[in-house]
Amino acid sequence: MGFWNRLQSIDRRWVYLVIWLVVALPLIFPFRIRPVASPPVEKLFNYIDTMPEDKALVLSVDFTPDTQAELFPMLIALLRHGFAHGHRIGVLSMQVQGLGLAEEALAQVAREFNQRARTREDSVIVGEDYVFWGWTTPEVTVMLGMGERITNVFPVDYYGAKTQDLPLMKHLKNYDDVGLLVSIAGSSIPLSWINYAQTQFGVRLGCGITAVSAADFYPYLNSGQFTGMLSGMKGAAEYEELLDSRLRERGPEWTLRRKGTEAMSSQTTAHLAIIAFIILGNVAFFVSRARRKP
Amino acid sequence: MKRRLPLLIVLITGVFGAVAFFVPHAAVRDVDVTMRNDVLRIIAAFGLILGVGSILRHHFTKIRRQAEHWQYSWVTIVMLFASAIVGLFGGIDTRNPGILPTRIGTFSFHIQTLYTSVMVPLAATMFSMLAFYMASAAYRAFRARNLEATLLLVAAFVLMLGAVPLGGLLIRPLPEFAEWILTVPNTAAKRGILFGVGLGTIATSLKIILGIERGWLGGGG
Repeated sequence: MGFWNRLQSIDRRWVYLVIWLVVALPLIFPFRIRPVASPPVEKLFNYIDTMPEDKALVLSVDFTPDTQAELFPMLIALLRHGFAHGHRIGVLSMQVQGLGLAEEALAQVAREFNQRARTREDSVIVGEDYVFWGWTTPEVTVMLGMGERITNVFPVDYYGAKTQDLPLMKHLKNYDDVGLLVSIAGSSIPLSWINYAQTQFGVRLGCGITAVSAADFYPYLNSGQFTGMLSGMKGAAEYEELLDSRLRERGPEWTLRRKGTEAMSSQTTAHLAIIAFIILGNVAFFVSRARRKP
Repeated sequence: MKRRLPLLIVLITGVFGAVAFFVPHAAVRDVDVTMRNDVLRIIAAFGLILGVGSILRHHFTKIRRQAEHWQYSWVTIVMLFASAIVGLFGGIDTRNPGILPTRIGTFSFHIQTLYTSVMVPLAATMFSMLAFYMASAAYRAFRARNLEATLLLVAAFVLMLGAVPLGGLLIRPLPEFAEWILTVPNTAAKRGILFGVGLGTIATSLKIILGIERGWLGGGG
């Protein structure tokens, strides 16, 4: 067997080793790459930035831990943006496994804001500035029911408090009070939000999705059904970049950790390695084929 | 009767579900709200009971027959009950305790602790395996054998490089080109597929509602 043939049938464990190295090493020794916001990310950011303050931002945590690496940084960035802008925030989950992630993100961002708060306006308080409705099923009940009365769909919040007693819920009755609903998902749940919530009630939607599923969502972005879209880790990093300059205006202590941006170096090397593998595989394939021909 | 009753329920609820979406009359809306908020939830609750019952029966049968890897069935059953009990009675975390003591000294096993310490790493590990398989598959199978495969290969190159900030640094218009591929050719193809899927869904739904397609009743159509 010649060199090129051997290269084609190389033990896959060598490929695994290279991938492990190109993913792990940049996380240990990161190099900084500054992401530039793409139009879908910019649209979502600008909409939240200019949304009237009395309108709420609703975040639907529709992903599970398997896609956490890509989607969790988006959730953190959107929460930071919403709180920094003083929007009321409502959080729910369409996946029962998403509850823990939503709780973790809310606890983290609330802590970040409350540690830096100098006045009541700077701090974020559950029930007053944000509400975590939790999860209920089935999704059609939630998506249509929220258009009529949110407290009917979620009589109690995730922590067991009656939602109708929460001060925030006096200003957040149904989709009329929602400026934007962003569904962050590793599945097709954002499309269900279009089918039920937007078609019936006209609620404005955005989405955060995994890079691998981005192609499925572009038709809805082009049609304007999604106001903006964050696609994969890069989408999260681009949003973090836009948000960073906005947060820095509040003071030097607002330089927060950006996990999406941190992971860009690792993602870059992984993509380059896969491209190199494809080129190498094709070169080996064509050279061996040419040599086989008489 | 055993077959006719389910077919009749599907016919009535199916037609009503579609009609309610388009008719804003108060009477229709009231029934629709009751169906969605009460009836659907009751059905979902029964679904949960069926699901738990089904998983328990499957694993207990496996244990009884000592089928291959039957030991893991005990892990599933024990974790099912442990997480259910902790989740129902143990509170969310240290800030939101429940009636069940879920803390021994500094060690706590609230549902959030179980979730972040067990569920998250397990699920993330499973999904991260994909990167290795994808790289291996790309190396072994992604070949420019013909025109279609070459086009796919070129598109993949552009999108992979466009999906990282380095792409724009290497070739300035690359991110815009990647965006164009997704916005124009991809959207055009996707729309065609979506129209086909939409029409197929309507046809299949009508067949189910009208009782032509009966595979869901079990025992074949």
